[in-house]
Amino acid sequence: MLALVRWGMVIDLKRCTACHSCSVACKAEHHTPPGVFWAKVVRMESGKYPTVTRQALPLLCMNCKEPECKDVCPTGATTKRPDGIVVVDSKKCVGCRYCAVACPYGARNFAGEWKDYFTGDSKPSSAFAEHSRKKWLEESDRGVVSKCNFCVERVDQGRKPACVNACPCEARTFGDLDDPESEVSQLIKKRRGMQLHPEYGTDASVYYLPAR
Amino acid sequence: MVCRTLQLSIMAVAEMDVLQYEDFKPGPRAQMEWGFGGRRRWRDGALLMALFLGGIGAGQFVISTWFIHSITSALVGLLVVGVGKTVAHLVYLGQPTRFYRLFLRPRTSWVSRGLIFMVVFVVFAAAYLAPDIGFGWVPWTAETTLGQALWLGAVLSASLVMVYDGFVLASCKSITSWHTALMPPLFFTYAIAGGVAMTYLTMTATGGKILNQSTMTNLDAILLTTMFALVVIYIINMAASTSTARESLRRLTSTKLAITFIGLAIVAGLLVPLTLTYYDQLEVGGAVASVLLAFSCILELAGDLSVRHSILRAGLHAPVFSEGL
Repeated sequence: MLALVRWGMVIDLKRCTACHSCSVACKAEHHTPPGVFWAKVVRMESGKYPTVTRQALPLLCMNCKEPECKDVCPTGATTKRPDGIVVVDSKKCVGCRYCAVACPYGARNFAGEWKDYFTGDSKPSSAFAEHSRKKWLEESDRGVVSKCNFCVERVDQGRKPACVNACPCEARTFGDLDDPESEVSQLIKKRRGMQLHPEYGTDASVYYLPAR
Repeated sequence: MVCRTLQLSIMAVAEMDVLQYEDFKPGPRAQMEWGFGGRRRWRDGALLMALFLGGIGAGQFVISTWFIHSITSALVGLLVVGVGKTVAHLVYLGQPTRFYRLFLRPRTSWVSRGLIFMVVFVVFAAAYLAPDIGFGWVPWTAETTLGQALWLGAVLSASLVMVYDGFVLASCKSITSWHTALMPPLFFTYAIAGGVAMTYLTMTATGGKILNQSTMTNLDAILLTTMFALVVIYIINMAASTSTARESLRRLTSTKLAITFIGLAIVAGLLVPLTLTYYDQLEVGGAVASVLLAFSCILELAGDLSVRHSILRAGLHAPVFSEGL
């Protein structure tokens, strides 16, 4: 199948307030268990008093054009769709975690067992926890690696990923990187969007607009 | 019941705090997937054991068949790889029942390649040893052309088993302390030296006579010296590399990990055996020399395991924050 799009995301660091709405929306969408963060926000302080700055960097799978994780996967569980989204087939993954070690962005998560948020136990403590466990096991599995897939099920329905939808500051923009007229392409061009770790040649599909 | 639930919650939160601290770190981030102290604590150590057993088992087979022609020792080497390494891999995997899928991508994945090398080694080595371990009906012996071809196949595949884990680590671009051409020779040399130590210990335990003992001792001295040189070059390389690699070096030399790296891997695993090996060459033979040599072999194996553990634990991903953000 020939895809006419390459899905990508632009994150405006000037707008991000590190409210973690993206992380919560992701968890609500995918029912990820404790310890599994497909979308997370890393914070860093730099400088010295009185000129200290605190910066937030929302992280997710970069859905790279040349994904390291796909190359190192010994099982063929990680594949790249024609539209550029990198997906993990949880029924093929054996949980060797070579991909998690090879990924420069720390985007891959491993969950040995599903655990309840409140008891830390593998037995669900409430009806919602049971629902959450079922959903998680449908989408992923225990003992395998999982990661952000740009909410592929929503994208296939023509909707935006949950994190983009939930961001109250509208820091995230989702669109087609191959279309020079798309909002993401225009933002990258005008605001000099940059990829993380371009030196590894992964050609990430997530661009960041500088905070300064 | 309430107390138990509370206790479990606190334990779960405390455990996650430690593990997730790495995931949310803006600076260099430790890999938490392979080796003891990973995400699943002890169970992740099974991968380290698999690498260790694969190296020393393959090394033992090569040394036993090449230098001292001992079937018993070669069989132990084969079992260490065929059983020990296989079981360790299965213990480590999140979904062990799907292990067969690991062989599907040899074109791009070093894990696939390594496991194929392992199977090839087990097949060739078992076939080579078959006539001597009760399968006399096979149409070859160790001396026939077919037997020699099987031996050659086993030695070549054993060499690949010894070296592939170095390539697995070196292929990880973002972990600068691993992404170096030094990894394959370092792992290969340690595997051969581990093989020498295992061979000597097996022969001592089974009361077998070691042919070419002086050759073995000389080989061990050469290997230990080479390993020491490689470790020194590895340290210098890290010191001269990126800030992430320098942080790895700092962890290896001035944190709790230094006990394993400097204490066990370098002093106990390299310098003491090297001294004992030279001492053995100078001294007259006898029971004392044998005991010292056996002690030296145990230290070498401990050093082999420690150096692999240290390298895995000091593996740090480069920070995600970049200049200009």
